[in-house]
This record gives sequence, structure tokens and C-alpha cells, in this order.
Amino acid sequence: MKFALLLVALAFPAAAQQADGGVPEDLQKELEKAIQSDQSAAQKQGQPGAPAPPAAVAQSAGATPQTLPRGSQSLNPDISAIVDADLGYVRRAPQLLSGDDPDLHADGTRHALGAAVQEVELAFSAIVDPYFKGEVYLTIPNLDGIEVEEAFATTTSLPWNLQVKAGSFRGAFGRQNGQHLHVQDFTRRPLINAAFLGADGMRGPGVQVSWLSPLPFFLTLSAEAFSLRSDPADQTQALPQPVASFGADASARPTVAAEAKVFFPFGDAVSFYGGLNFASGKSPGLLLGPASTVGAGREAQLYGADVYVKWKPPNVAQGYGSLAFQAEAILRHLGAGDALQDEWDGGAYAQVVAQLARRWFIGLRGDVIGVPSSSVLGRTERVGTSLTFQASEFARVRGYLEAEHAGSAPSAFLPQALPEWAPAAYLQLEISIGAHGAHPF
Amino acid sequence: MLILLAALHVVSSIPTLGSLAKEVGGDRVEVESLGKGYQDPHFIEPKPNLMLVLNRADLLLHVGLELEIGWLPPLVLGSRNPKIQAGEPGNLDCSRAIPVLDVPTTKVDRSMGDIHPQGNPHYWLPPGNAKIIAREIAQRLAQIDPDGRAAYEKNLAAFNERVDAKAKEWAPRVAKLKGVKIATYHKSWSYVSQWLGLEEIGYVEPKPGIPPDPQHLARLIGVMKQDGARLLLVEDFYNKGVASLVAEKAGAKLLTLPTDVGATPQIKDWFSLVETVLVALSSNV
Repeated sequence: MKFALLLVALAFPAAAQQADGGVPEDLQKELEKAIQSDQSAAQKQGQPGAPAPPAAVAQSAGATPQTLPRGSQSLNPDISAIVDADLGYVRRAPQLLSGDDPDLHADGTRHALGAAVQEVELAFSAIVDPYFKGEVYLTIPNLDGIEVEEAFATTTSLPWNLQVKAGSFRGAFGRQNGQHLHVQDFTRRPLINAAFLGADGMRGPGVQVSWLSPLPFFLTLSAEAFSLRSDPADQTQALPQPVASFGADASARPTVAAEAKVFFPFGDAVSFYGGLNFASGKSPGLLLGPASTVGAGREAQLYGADVYVKWKPPNVAQGYGSLAFQAEAILRHLGAGDALQDEWDGGAYAQVVAQLARRWFIGLRGDVIGVPSSSVLGRTERVGTSLTFQASEFARVRGYLEAEHAGSAPSAFLPQALPEWAPAAYLQLEISIGAHGAHPF
Repeated sequence: MLILLAALHVVSSIPTLGSLAKEVGGDRVEVESLGKGYQDPHFIEPKPNLMLVLNRADLLLHVGLELEIGWLPPLVLGSRNPKIQAGEPGNLDCSRAIPVLDVPTTKVDRSMGDIHPQGNPHYWLPPGNAKIIAREIAQRLAQIDPDGRAAYEKNLAAFNERVDAKAKEWAPRVAKLKGVKIATYHKSWSYVSQWLGLEEIGYVEPKPGIPPDPQHLARLIGVMKQDGARLLLVEDFYNKGVASLVAEKAGAKLLTLPTDVGATPQIKDWFSLVETVLVALSSNV
């Protein structure tokens, strides 16, 4: 029955929206109908005007106060599991697939239609002791082996506004890199993720030191070092892989990154959150054949900027609505080496997400990478739109449409994706069970 | 000026707790609240500038019972302030001595909606609970600032006297409300109902945090009519659309009520908050 209601709500978003919002005509009519059917049912049961009390009617008020048993006190960590399952269609293999994008196993130029479980995430978190908080996130992307997405400790008691994070974690580089899949507003990650930060984002074993400045406005500075390991992008496979920025020579050359973030509130409703980022490491280049590489060991630097501007009234007294704009841009410098010249490439995305009603969100995103293009990165543009129905804090259904355009390959190493234009559509179901913690802004 | 410089910086999750801290802390404390009185305390956005506020806190007061679970923990961690981390004297869960209502007696899961497994956290309005909160805050302030113990005890005694005096003044209004049948939007009035002897006969939300469907509303309207519920209470931060429709169909009066200090500029402390609620209720029965 609940599933049927959900389908109805999906099919008629406007009606559901109104039921959540103002004093809608549709709801008035539906309510009249429901009252009538309720009364006639009561009459049939010989109880005129005496409808059965709703399940929610409870008589707790006035009860004797209880001494709090405090539920089940437990020193177990908070545990949760999140599942993202999809039905989808792609015209051809996507140009750049992030690790937690749904993989329909499209084979080159052929289309694919089917189901995927784009991610199963298991999360554990708890205060370790008076000095640390511990968090572990295991992920099974596309049902393909278990990975440690993050496993780290954060200090809670350091002096001088310092905080240290140690273990394996997502780096502080821009906005989306630090976010897990279920915090994303779209079914697929932005193209800059796989193009510059790695298919799984910039994450791995390392250490981060961050400092909250004592200035009157919010400013944090962070510095981190990782031992990232990446293989050369294998161009002999059916699906060419993006060339990693970092991860070559991991034992001798750590990847380092730094970030500055500022936040300014404008009244109760408007927020500005922005950051500047830098990262440096060595690129593993491309694998062209069994023993043939190009671009291996080139020095690579990323320069990034991100901005998040949100309008959300402090309460819903005037109705449900919010608007969020988010954009990130990355420029990459690749030094000369292993048969390739010194060069720059880059990419960006911008998105707008609007809350239409209590449970409905619509999003639009534009992506571009390969601006400028380089010998290891061609140009790709993509536009995507999402419509999300949030059944509760713990479940959502999302429709996502995208169209990807692959520009002509700029070098002999990169195959040309055909057809150039490729639409894709996904229906994503996301559920979260267990004690899931709060998300940062 | 010297006192101001030395004042303890108390940060509360909701303004009412800060207001109670000011009552017992007097000049020895300065208070600041993360949330505003016109915000839903379940859903305050964890904006990073709030980490700065917490960074400077000597004492954090929070409602507890998982009311702030969706936004406070990342702010406390990000504040990089060792004094207010969980388990430290500078972190006071104000529910610790409250006789909590609506504690689930059977196994809970989220088919029951967005429930609070440890019980109902909306406890700060009744005078008895305000005195408990004030006592807890005074004790904690004395622990952090032993030099101020005498001042805190004196202020607490004065606060309790004022509460008792007000309770006497409010008695006729309270008496008028005994046995009055009400419906509410969210199940957040249990403590007020217990204090005033109100009888809650239903809720607009079928389950906490879950929007109603027409069938639930029709049943609620039926029960309200049958039981003669005269008032439908809704907090000022909720959307009134559905509640006003239900009130109209059920022939009840919709009362939009504040639940926190600062909900309007006139509500400056716990006394004016409770008086506003009490006058609104008693004037409409």
C-alpha cells in the first residue's frame, strides 16, 4: 500500500507538493472524499460519527512521568548501511565513470539497459576516547569488491584550534570530493572527479592537519599528505580510463594538498561557502601496450576553486523552498616528461538545486572537461537534470537524465567515443538504515 | 568591564536554555544561541560559522534526547574546542535530570516515523522542568567557575522564587485548561499537556516527521469532532497550510504558538515565553 502511495506520489508530484505546502484545492477535494468514505464506513459498522481513532492518537500526555531508562545504553559504535540501487539506460559507455557512478557495463559503442547497485556503504562511527573520534566507511561500488572508502581518526582535544585527521580518508579538495554518494544531488558525480581527482576521488592513506582561524569570520586552513597509488591508465581496455593526476612513485613521492575555506552568512537565509585548493603529485601516465607508457612520472599540480551559495529560509512557516548553487573548477598543470610536453588542462561544473516542496527537489547541472584539453584529456561536455522525491530523511527516489557529448580526441593516445552524443537515464533508489550521523553543511 | 571580560561564554543549542543560563549566571555569564527561537530545533542547518561560536564557548547547553542529533555533532567536532566535547564539564545535556515522557516501551524502528528513541525532547516549557534545567545549569556553572558558586546559588534561588510566584499568578489560567481536549501538529506538547492537564486526542502528523495523507486527516477530523477538541496547536516554525484546513473542517481553533525564547522580539525570556503560550491557550477555551 505504501509502495502504491509512493508510485502515486511520483506520478503526480504536483498533488503531493500541494499536500505538503499551502492550503491546496486538490487536498481539499481529496480530504472531502476521505471524510465521506470514512463516514460511510463508520455507518456500515453501526458507529455513526465514531471513526476509529487513528494510529497516531496516543494518550501519553498526562501520564505519570517516568524515570528515564535511557533506552539501551551501549558502547557499540553507531552503525548504518546505505544502498543506492538503479535502473538505467546509456546510449554508449560513459566517457568518465567515477567509482560510485552506476555501472551498466555498456560495451564501447553499444547501449546498455539494466539494473545496478551503484553502491552499498557500511558506516561505523563513535567517540574513541577523550581524544579521538573514529569513523569507518566501507563501500562496495557496483557490487564489485569491498573497499575502504574511509577509515580515520579525528582529534577532539588539540590546543591552538588545531585538528588532525589520520588514517585513510577523502581529501579536503573542493566540495564534492569530500562527500559520499548519498550526499550528492545527482546520480553521477561531476566529470571533474574522475578526470582530475581519480575515479574514486582523491582519497587514500594519509594525514591532515587543519586549523580554525580565530578571525571574526569562518576560515579554515588545511594541509594534507597522502600515499596515493595509481596505475597508468590502460588504453588497451575496451573502456579507456582517465589518466590519474597522482599516484605514481607512491613510496617516494607523497601527494600533498592544501585548502582554504571561508564561510559567510548573510542574514538567516543566505550562506556563502567557498574554497581555494591546491594539490601536487606525480601522474602515472598512460599504458599503451604491454610495456609501453607515455606521460609516466610527470609532475602534476591541481589548482581548484569551489563555491556553494544557498538560500533557505530559517523555517517553513511560509512554505517549503530552498535554492542552492554549487560550482567547482580545476586547472591542472602537467610537467614535461616521458615523451610528453609541459601542458595545462582543466574542467568545471555548475549546478543549481531547488526545493519545490517539502519532499521534492529538482536539479540542473552542466559539466565540461578538457578546457583547455591536453594530450591526456579530451573535451567532454555533459548536461544533467535530476528530480528527487524524498520520502523521508532515510529514503529517496531520484530520476536522473543526462546527455554527454564527447569532443574529438586531441591526441593519438585517446580513442574517440562514438556516437559523440550519448543520452542516459537512471531511476535511483537510496535507502539508509541504522544510526546515520549528521552531515556537514 | 572587568566582569565582562571574565564572563563565562555560554552557548546554547536553543535560546531558551541560554535564557535560563542567564537567569542563574547573571553578570558572570554571557550567552549566545546557535539556533534562533523561530527555527525548528530538529532542523537547524550546521553552518560553519556556528563552529566559530562554539570555538569560544566555555559551556555548551543542549536539549539532548537526540533533538539536535541532525546538526550539532559535526559543529562540536569542528569547533576544535576541547572544553565542550562530549564527556567534558563544558558539555551539559540539559535533559539529564528531566523526568522524560514518551519513552518507547517497545522496540522502535523508523516505520514509526522520525522518533526519538530516548523519549520526547520538547520538555523546557513547564515550570517544574525549567527549575530542573536551571538547577543543572547552576551546578555546572559552579563546577566550571567555583568562585561564582555563591552567586549561582543565589540567582537560582531567586529564579525559583520568581517561578513559584508566577505559577501562583498563572494558576487561574492553568485551572481553566484542565481537561481541555486538543490536537497538535507534531507530538511536541506532551510536557505542556501534562502540566496543564490538556488531553491530546490526535496529531496532524500521522507519525513524527511524516506528512499526513488525506485518510489520516479525515480520521483526525472525525476524532476531533467526536471528542470535541477545541484547539489545534501548531508551532510557529511549521507550515500552517494543512493544520488550518484540519482546524476549519473540525470546527476547532488553530493556535500558532511559540516554543522558544526569541520566537518573536517580545519573547525575551522563559517567563514571557510561557506566559505567551498560557495566555494564548487560556484565552481560546
